[in-house]
Amino acid sequence: MNESPLENLKLELRRGCLVLAVLAQLRREHYGYTLRKALADGGLEIEESTLYPLLRRLETQGLLSSEWREEDKRNKRFYVISREGKQVLKQLLEEWRSLDGSLENIVREVRV
Amino acid sequence: MNLLDRYLQAIARLLPKERRADIIEELRVNLLAQMEDREEAVGRPLTRAEQAEILKRHGNPTMVAGRYREPNLGFSFGIQIVGPELFPIYRNVLALIFGITACILAVVTVTLAHTTHETVTLIRLLTPLPIQFAVTTLIFFLIDRGKDHVLNRWDPDELPEVKVPDEGPTKKNIFRFTGLFIGTAWVALTPHWPYLMLGPGALYLPALQLQFWPQYRFFYRAIVALLYAGLVLEFCVMNRWLTRPRARVGELVLRALGIAVGAALLVHGPNYVTSLYKDVADWANQTFYVCVAVAVAIHLWNATMEIRALIRDRHQMLPARQY
Repeated sequence: MNESPLENLKLELRRGCLVLAVLAQLRREHYGYTLRKALADGGLEIEESTLYPLLRRLETQGLLSSEWREEDKRNKRFYVISREGKQVLKQLLEEWRSLDGSLENIVREVRV
Repeated sequence: MNLLDRYLQAIARLLPKERRADIIEELRVNLLAQMEDREEAVGRPLTRAEQAEILKRHGNPTMVAGRYREPNLGFSFGIQIVGPELFPIYRNVLALIFGITACILAVVTVTLAHTTHETVTLIRLLTPLPIQFAVTTLIFFLIDRGKDHVLNRWDPDELPEVKVPDEGPTKKNIFRFTGLFIGTAWVALTPHWPYLMLGPGALYLPALQLQFWPQYRFFYRAIVALLYAGLVLEFCVMNRWLTRPRARVGELVLRALGIAVGAALLVHGPNYVTSLYKDVADWANQTFYVCVAVAVAIHLWNATMEIRALIRDRHQMLPARQY
């Protein structure tokens, strides 16, 4: 397989997981840069130009809330998961676990 | 941080005005934090090349701004023709082309109808539009195919220098002041020279024996006073003697007073004048009544927009920047 189609497939696979990862990570408050670092530390590297607009979108959807606050003599926009976001995260996690279980079964059958 | 400022300026130009300052400030904080982390890691200030590398990795300003603009939009027809990054630009270009074409077609149609008395069919009239749509879409399709190649070939060092905010009056402010000045002069001088409003028709005024209602002077003076106050406010804004939020509050107060005067006129209307000729009086009253109603509606709409802008600015807690 060429690298480009593989890259596209990997990108598609990751795209669906990003929201889940971001919502889960924002159970603790972060601003953009520290969130990206926290996700990278957890093994999920996201481009800045993807992550920061995603935060705005999730906030518009009511899944995150944010506020500008001063930290280290600099105003930063801190994001945290909202009540609605927590409910969505719970449902998404259930979906994820169910998918993961199904995929595991399918992959195991393929291996056999 | 000249390079960072130039980069942010390039992004800011492509962002929606109402969210511009907020997004730029957030990007600035995140990029600065990234640069400081890197400085900590290497144990010295970053060189210009290292700063440029961070910005280049962050992405082409056009792509970055595109992702903040309605990211789920795009144009697909089986395959994606114009992606979300270019779609806002594509939509604006199409709107501009269609707008210009519509104006040209209107002029051509009227001219043809008058000069040749030829009937212009709707199909003939609309033919250029699908052709323009197809050509524009094809161009954007080709740009979208090669966008990664084209957009990755950029250099932060080649971005335009940061514009220092001009201390003098802007063209927009001069235009607004001039427009308001002419409008005020027109309203203030019309009672002395009715020709300004009625043209040659003013010659018939004595014969019509128009009688204004008794409260006419009060309302007329109130309107002129509001126009003078608006002129003073606009003069202060033009010379930057007032900050933008204060000017907005001032505009809002004047607008509210204008709406109150307009509403009072509507309540008292539509018997503003009487004449020997009832038809003329009716026509004048109805016309004035509709004009006042339209003016009140426009002021109400503008006031709503200004209140929204004030609330938005209050929530954003951001300093006014040059972007």
